[in-house]
Amino acid sequence: MATTVEPTRIAADVLMEKQSPEPDGALYRRLYSYMLKCRMVEERIRVLYRQGRFAGNYFAAVGQEATEVGVTLDLLPEDTIAPSHRNFVTHIMKGTPLPLMFAQIYGRKTSPDQGRSAPAHCGYAPLNVITPSSTIAAQLNVGTGIALAYTMRRRPNVVVALSGEGSTSLGFWHEAVNFAGVRRLPILIVVENNGYAESVPVALQTAVDDISVKAQAYGIPGVSVDGNDVVAVYAAAREAIDRARKGEGPTLLECRTYRWYGHSEIDPAKYRDPAEVAYWKARDPITAMELRLESAQLWTERWKRELESEFTREIDEAIAFAESSPAPEGKEALDEVYSFSIRERELERKVWEPRFTVGRAE
Amino acid sequence: MAVMTYIDAINSALREEMARDSSVFLIGEDIGKMGGAFRATKGLLEEFGGDRVIDSPLAEGVIVSSSIGAAMAGMRPVPEIQFVDFITPAMDAITQQAAKLRYRSAGTQTCPMTVRVCYGGSVGGGLYHSQSNTSWFIHCPGLVVVAPSRPYDAKGLLKAAIRDDNPVMFFEHKKLYRSMKEEVPESDYIVPLMKAAIARPGRDITAISYGYTLQLTLQAAEQMKQKHGVDVEVIDLRTLAPLDTDTFLESVAKTSRAVVIHEDNRTLGIGAEVAATIAEQAFDCLDAPILRVTAPDVPLLPAAADLEKFCTVSEDKIVAALERSMAY
Repeated sequence: MATTVEPTRIAADVLMEKQSPEPDGALYRRLYSYMLKCRMVEERIRVLYRQGRFAGNYFAAVGQEATEVGVTLDLLPEDTIAPSHRNFVTHIMKGTPLPLMFAQIYGRKTSPDQGRSAPAHCGYAPLNVITPSSTIAAQLNVGTGIALAYTMRRRPNVVVALSGEGSTSLGFWHEAVNFAGVRRLPILIVVENNGYAESVPVALQTAVDDISVKAQAYGIPGVSVDGNDVVAVYAAAREAIDRARKGEGPTLLECRTYRWYGHSEIDPAKYRDPAEVAYWKARDPITAMELRLESAQLWTERWKRELESEFTREIDEAIAFAESSPAPEGKEALDEVYSFSIRERELERKVWEPRFTVGRAE
Repeated sequence: MAVMTYIDAINSALREEMARDSSVFLIGEDIGKMGGAFRATKGLLEEFGGDRVIDSPLAEGVIVSSSIGAAMAGMRPVPEIQFVDFITPAMDAITQQAAKLRYRSAGTQTCPMTVRVCYGGSVGGGLYHSQSNTSWFIHCPGLVVVAPSRPYDAKGLLKAAIRDDNPVMFFEHKKLYRSMKEEVPESDYIVPLMKAAIARPGRDITAISYGYTLQLTLQAAEQMKQKHGVDVEVIDLRTLAPLDTDTFLESVAKTSRAVVIHEDNRTLGIGAEVAATIAEQAFDCLDAPILRVTAPDVPLLPAAADLEKFCTVSEDKIVAALERSMAY
């Protein structure tokens, strides 16, 4: 670390004081460095995609780092993340090794799904990250079951489920939130409201201003926070997670944020007003945190460069691992359909010969 | 041994598996205090408590998807879908989540869940209480689809399904629930999944079915014996996916004739897969075209008695097909 400074209280935050045992300065610097790492990982993935170094697609959360980091940092290994397609970087906070994440991007044999699902659909069983699917709100629904199992086993763990504001239009989303409310499940339901579900603006998605009011219908607390303020997101998530751990049930947390790029790498996002994009880029959560830290003498340009070179090295190593990893062989497509192998029945079709005299059984 | 109905056998399997393994739990609509629409879970709430016999909200999607999550976290959930006609809200959970979880995680996340589904017609239930829809799930790799035809198998297969590490769709025919009784062991036993049975040995013609129509097929076989002296070999598929093809191919190699019987629609029903498999793998064994006895391709089942009767498989329809094949 470049400069040593006394931890300074930034923007008096009562919640933070209660929730964090570490000096605020150290926590704030950690929040910042995770956001920076997420940004660098995703920007590199986008470069790799444009270079044609992996096939498929990617769904960047660039611009939304405060939410990605704030709701998933400091979970226990036994806690679960139920991610959607845009939450690839949440693995960084959970601790999934970066080389495995890049092997996933490259669809290699060494990746958690061994090349089966899609680049952004990274799960990781050892740290309880559900392997995502593309159907919206699905992981939230599956997450309620994991939370149910935690209550049945009397375990003090929580599920953090993430989905976008578009998911809240689905009946399936409401089934899950209702069920979580009825059973008082230990689950944090995060709605990342980034303004657009692919191209459809939030005004065409819902008639309410605050998505968190939907919580009222299910008898659970609902909170809306500035999803670009990592401190606010972290504080709100901590409070909800601590209540969930104590058996006090679920919370709906709306984080208002914005994705800088299109829905995916093939979406130029021309449905958005450039002025709107510029407005939000000026509210970059990482820059905002830099200013906040700097004003408290917790940030220097030199420290940032050190972090950047450390993360660049990690990313380079992860890419080297992925690129040197073998691709799965074609016939491995037949594996892990069931708990037993179907290779034989798929590859060897036996032909039966008659066992009777012509026209009549023996 | 005890004489049990099919519904008794289901209840007995659930009770035994819940007593044997604390990770087994039930979730579904009306399964607690009421004991289920058909009383399959009668007495289980009192015996095992509300944590393990969960009366769920009226929401099939989350009944199944919460079961998937619980299964991932080490439980062995047995969700109930009251009527297969109402399973559509759970289709994402079943076909996109449960069926693909093992595959998309390369075997690191799994779903040992048994979805009990009540299905089938011939009870005057009308369009929304008579459907079969087994093909929806047979067409979905990753699922095991089971449909027992008798109380003995209902108990043994359900116990095997609950212990299995794959997501199992367990189809219980509502007409069978109380229409037949047989001796069923009160001691622990299982009937293996993915293994067809020879329900009646014969040497002249092979009749392949499952579920309620298997019982009609056995009656038709007896009629063929009485009327024509024809020995029908009746194959009970028991598991519809993955399909045990060897048992019926072996039979056709012996008899040279095959008729497939099911109550689901004709197009892309299990009969189509059985017929195609025989044509591909036992073509030289055949002395007659493979015939199907199925429902027509209409929404199943219309309510008025004559409409329902027209659409359902009967003993006479099966006999007519067997006679046609023998006469070829």
